Amino acid sequence: MELAGLSLSEVLTVLGGFAAAVVVLYLLKLRRRQVEVPFVHLWQQVLAEKQTTRLFSALKRILSLLVALLVVAALAFATGDPRYAGATDEGRTTVVLIDASASMQATDVAPSRLDAARERVAPLVAAMASADRMLVAQMDASTVPLSPLTSEPRLVEDGLERLRPTDVAADLGRGLRFSLDVLAGQPRPRVVIVSDGVLGPTGRVAERAREAGVEIDWIPIGEGGRNVAITAFSVRRYPLDKSRSEVLVELFNPTDEDASVELELSGDGEPIDVQRLRVGAGERLRRFFQNVTGADRTLEAHVAMADGAPDAQPADDRAYARLPERRRARVLAVSGGNLYLSAALLLDEYLDVTEVAPADYPPPGEFDVTIFDGWVPPSPPGTDAIYLAPVPAEGVEGPFVIRGEIERPFFDRVDRDHPIVQFTALRDVNIAASLDVELQDGDRVVAGDTGAPLLVTGSRSGRRLIALLFDVRRSDLPLRVAWPLLLINSIDHFVQEDARYLSSYETGETWYVPAPGDVTEATLVTPSGEERLVPVVDGRAVCTGLEAGFYTLRAGETEEVFAANLGPSDEAILEPAEALELAGEPAGEPEIGAASVRTEIWTWLVLLALAVIGVEWFTYHRRISV
Amino acid sequence: MLDWLRGKPTASAPADEGDLFDEEFQRRLDVLAIVSRKLARGRTRAERRSRKTGAGIEFADHRQYAPGDDFRYLDWNLYARTGRLLLRLYEEEEDLSVYILLDVSRSMAIGAPTSKLAYAKKLAAALGYIALANLDRVSIVTFADEVGGRLAPTRGKNRIFKAFEFLRPLRADGRTGTADAMKTFVAQNKRRGVAILISDLYDPDGFEGGINTLRYHKFEPYVVQVFDPAEVRPPLHGDVRLIDNETGDARDVTITPRVLARYAEAHRAYRRRIEDFCTQKHVPYFGVETSVPFDEAILDLLRRGGLVA
Repeated sequence: MELAGLSLSEVLTVLGGFAAAVVVLYLLKLRRRQVEVPFVHLWQQVLAEKQTTRLFSALKRILSLLVALLVVAALAFATGDPRYAGATDEGRTTVVLIDASASMQATDVAPSRLDAARERVAPLVAAMASADRMLVAQMDASTVPLSPLTSEPRLVEDGLERLRPTDVAADLGRGLRFSLDVLAGQPRPRVVIVSDGVLGPTGRVAERAREAGVEIDWIPIGEGGRNVAITAFSVRRYPLDKSRSEVLVELFNPTDEDASVELELSGDGEPIDVQRLRVGAGERLRRFFQNVTGADRTLEAHVAMADGAPDAQPADDRAYARLPERRRARVLAVSGGNLYLSAALLLDEYLDVTEVAPADYPPPGEFDVTIFDGWVPPSPPGTDAIYLAPVPAEGVEGPFVIRGEIERPFFDRVDRDHPIVQFTALRDVNIAASLDVELQDGDRVVAGDTGAPLLVTGSRSGRRLIALLFDVRRSDLPLRVAWPLLLINSIDHFVQEDARYLSSYETGETWYVPAPGDVTEATLVTPSGEERLVPVVDGRAVCTGLEAGFYTLRAGETEEVFAANLGPSDEAILEPAEALELAGEPAGEPEIGAASVRTEIWTWLVLLALAVIGVEWFTYHRRISV
Repeated sequence: MLDWLRGKPTASAPADEGDLFDEEFQRRLDVLAIVSRKLARGRTRAERRSRKTGAGIEFADHRQYAPGDDFRYLDWNLYARTGRLLLRLYEEEEDLSVYILLDVSRSMAIGAPTSKLAYAKKLAAALGYIALANLDRVSIVTFADEVGGRLAPTRGKNRIFKAFEFLRPLRADGRTGTADAMKTFVAQNKRRGVAILISDLYDPDGFEGGINTLRYHKFEPYVVQVFDPAEVRPPLHGDVRLIDNETGDARDVTITPRVLARYAEAHRAYRRRIEDFCTQKHVPYFGVETSVPFDEAILDLLRRGGLVA
């Protein structure tokens, strides 16, 4: 037995002081209530009979004194916080990393893997010795401590209650780095990973942990079960018909058995398509939904087993996408008269075109894009601009310095990755002549002849430009489908409706979401309704989220909705790992100590004192002992 | 009652109990007087006859002649037959004297809401009124360890107001000493009669002496013991110091239900002792609890004992 509180001498001092006080109080004569009676002789008869019990009364008084001294002794020793020998040895410091990734939402172990994780950790907490300290943390894309590093099991248990599932992959490397930081300098460090074992690479941190002498244990969770997941989901509008969309869905069956599933597509909350599909064992099945109509803002995909039974992982059965907004682009065409240009601009009903002659430039109003057809304004325009054969007038400085002309150039090289040339065929376009220009730093040749550029992008005076360095009327380009596509791609490039529009973000990643308005802060509303402020940098809100679903970004009076989906497809794999190898060594099973060494005797001493006081009170006031 | 519960000393002077003898009280007295006459009519004549022998006209008894007796009352016929000198005795018609002996010792101050003294005053007034209504001579004498005040013998119903005036200012004080007080009483009152002793009889020297004194001196004693309900079942608990409010004797005691039960038994035994004594001596005894309305108590006395009429 050892004392963790007051020393033995201090305990004895307290005991002696209070015991002496109690004895003195008992020696003081009891002050009685005085009551007048009419005839005390009658009482004397009664008291005469009581004389025989005087000895018993004296004994009871001594017993009462002993009881009081017992209470004092119990409380005095409680101040010493006595412990069993060995309980005050140097304890173990443990960080429990609980995997809260999407795969931990699987229901292959009832009610879910996350609940099973809680249950598996509970004995570990219950077995904490007095000197042991523990911290429990939620490990998802980041690692969040749920309790302080404490020797109080109750605080750790409270932390376990705060554990919440997420729709992201767990980052074990980050979890281990966090653990190493916590365990630095702590006695007998240990990390306990509670997970299904489907975790990504950890890099060097696992080796560092081994080198630091940190014991790494693993509590495996999960049994495996059937699952078909949506691992990819995106949507884009057709460039020429923005009322229709094309949708890509990828299904993944990570199990060993084929599965029949029903894939349902909903637009703006209403079902728009249902397909029954068969996904082979281990297969990734891609499906394109062409000419999808009926969705204007949001799309949602839901996969379910064809037999109606739920699969073991509900988190990856749904995917979400946001359709790009169909905003009408305001286009100013400055031209002396070009039927090909006018006709091409008529093809896109989402363009709001204003045509003016060069003499009337600039007209009143605001525009997103200005097309200069064979004419260069005397001063740089206030919008992004498309230049067609930009030959400046005398005394005017154009976007390019023109060195001369090139006869019969061809589109020998085309940067197919650039969005403005997507879906276009330019190689056999016949061109009479093109301008030979001097490019500036930052200019990029998207297409051109071997000796000269024909299609250039760049920026001047802070505004972007796209320049077609020949007169389309002196080529057969206007007779080809590529001409209106090239023009519309260019306009879309400026108004953000390019083919790389992100219809959804990935949970756990950092998102840069275009923010409406000129703000520095916006409010992000998660799918579960939680609101938080996020910063806006260069017109984009920088944020992240752990839930799949539709988010709302609110800035001032305007709102933007965007979608987020579950991250890596590994989360669909429910088969638990057989072993968790870290730095070439398998993680071991955590050792669970005997709970009895934790017993704190002082609580029992206080309870004993309270019990004795309670018994004394009861026997006195119920007239059992008096 | 609360004073008793709180253990506060009870004042010897009565609390302000209002006018004990208000109109309502007097109305009840009238009713009691009527009822007492109805009860008496069934068993005896309206007026009481004294047992004193003397110059009456109705023969009562004989007794042995003693020197000094009046020769006129010798029964010569009987002497002729038997040769013994016997004196003829006649019942002497005279007013009945009713003495109401009221205990005003400190112990009579106890009781709530009505103290024993206040209750005893009402009893005394009621009994006095009934006696006056029967043309008896009524006298009220107070005592503690000696005789205190005295209402001179008086007759006639209208004298009841003098009795009220005598009773009103009485205060409880002094120790109970029945024997000494009765000795004084009999010495002061040669005219025999009914002596109604109203007391709690909490006499440390014993209640017997006083009653015997009355008996020995040819009074007809009636004993009315007054007690408060809280004396029988004291609402006490815990560690207390009991102080006798007459003697100041103190006793420390821890009150438990068992102690209370023993006390109640002791109190019952004490009352039984008084009752047994009175029965043996042919002295009517009445125990009256102050919780009983005084008029009910009076009627009970009339029915049971022929105390009046």
